[in-house]
Amino acid sequence: MQIRPELDALRRDDTPQRQAQARLVEDLARWRAGPAAPLDTELARFGDGAELDDLPLLSALFAPGETAAEDFAAELVARFVAALERDPLGQVPLRHYTDDLVTTLMLARNARSTLTLQALDGTGLARRAAPVSAGFPPSEAIERVLAGSAHGEVMSIVAARPGGADLSSAELHLRAGDVHRRDGSREALILRSVAGSLVTLKLQRRTASNAVTHEYRLADGALVHQAAGNPRDSRLELTAALLGRMGRTDAAPLLAAMAEETGSPALRWQALRECLALDSAAGFAALSQLARRGEDPLCGPAGALRAQLIETYPQLAGVASCPA
Amino acid sequence: MNLPKIDISALPDLDTLTGVFGSLAHPAQSLQSDDSIVVLMVFVYDIIIT
Repeated sequence: MQIRPELDALRRDDTPQRQAQARLVEDLARWRAGPAAPLDTELARFGDGAELDDLPLLSALFAPGETAAEDFAAELVARFVAALERDPLGQVPLRHYTDDLVTTLMLARNARSTLTLQALDGTGLARRAAPVSAGFPPSEAIERVLAGSAHGEVMSIVAARPGGADLSSAELHLRAGDVHRRDGSREALILRSVAGSLVTLKLQRRTASNAVTHEYRLADGALVHQAAGNPRDSRLELTAALLGRMGRTDAAPLLAAMAEETGSPALRWQALRECLALDSAAGFAALSQLARRGEDPLCGPAGALRAQLIETYPQLAGVASCPA
Repeated sequence: MNLPKIDISALPDLDTLTGVFGSLAHPAQSLQSDDSIVVLMVFVYDIIIT
């Protein structure tokens, strides 16, 4: 194995790397204290549902015809490029990702919104197979093209139907300076070709907290996948499963309460299953509650499962008649 | 009351299953339009700088 001398030196003493990292963090802090000073506050307000027009920095960044976005991104990139020339082994202290298609720098984030700088490589895109599906996450996206151009289409949900959706498509050409805004739960952007690289500044916020991401097949609109629309639901579902595998019967009341809350139906159903397996009395009481709620999306499945369980275990019928 | 112990594998799922946040049936083409990929990116930087 070959180890370059500069890396070998760092294995004995990593002080230079720590110092390089501290300098990069300082560069970022200066940008955050300068042109990006209002960013965190405005991003939090945007995530909470504020109108873009009420947020001076963000509205300037996404105003068609203005050059604020170019200047804003260029200043940060110039700082990092200079820092990496000085310290080539430094790590940019922002979350980032890169592959042959997309390179992303997350400039700022809070619980429900993100601002990212993204570059899409046209050659990488051409190498990928044509998309067969489109994802519709419960989020709103505003994209500003900083450089480059692209050709693609916006897929829109015309009508939802059981097991799928009717989709329509409209051509879209993106050029430097364009601003494209879409409701991700109804519209998806699919890029077909990019000339060179397409650099965009992208502002996103998650909308309805209980909604899920739908993925529909482009050919016929069939629902091919559905996923939690936010990380919290998935975290809670995994936690509920873990409590179940650990046999934590003391968690049954909490799981029953989760099942009866007004959260994502998928999460509530998993909490109910875990609860029933841990403590059949607590779980069956929650199940009976749900089966009585006509407006609840889980009412039907809960009624069917309740009937099935009573048939298998007649003694459970007594639980329902106990005062809760 | 003698209540049964119910095996979780005997309890049905909903008709449409819901995957974890960020999961996709065809992930290769969907990188462009969703922030979930960004949210799920590796977080090494947070460890390095703190």
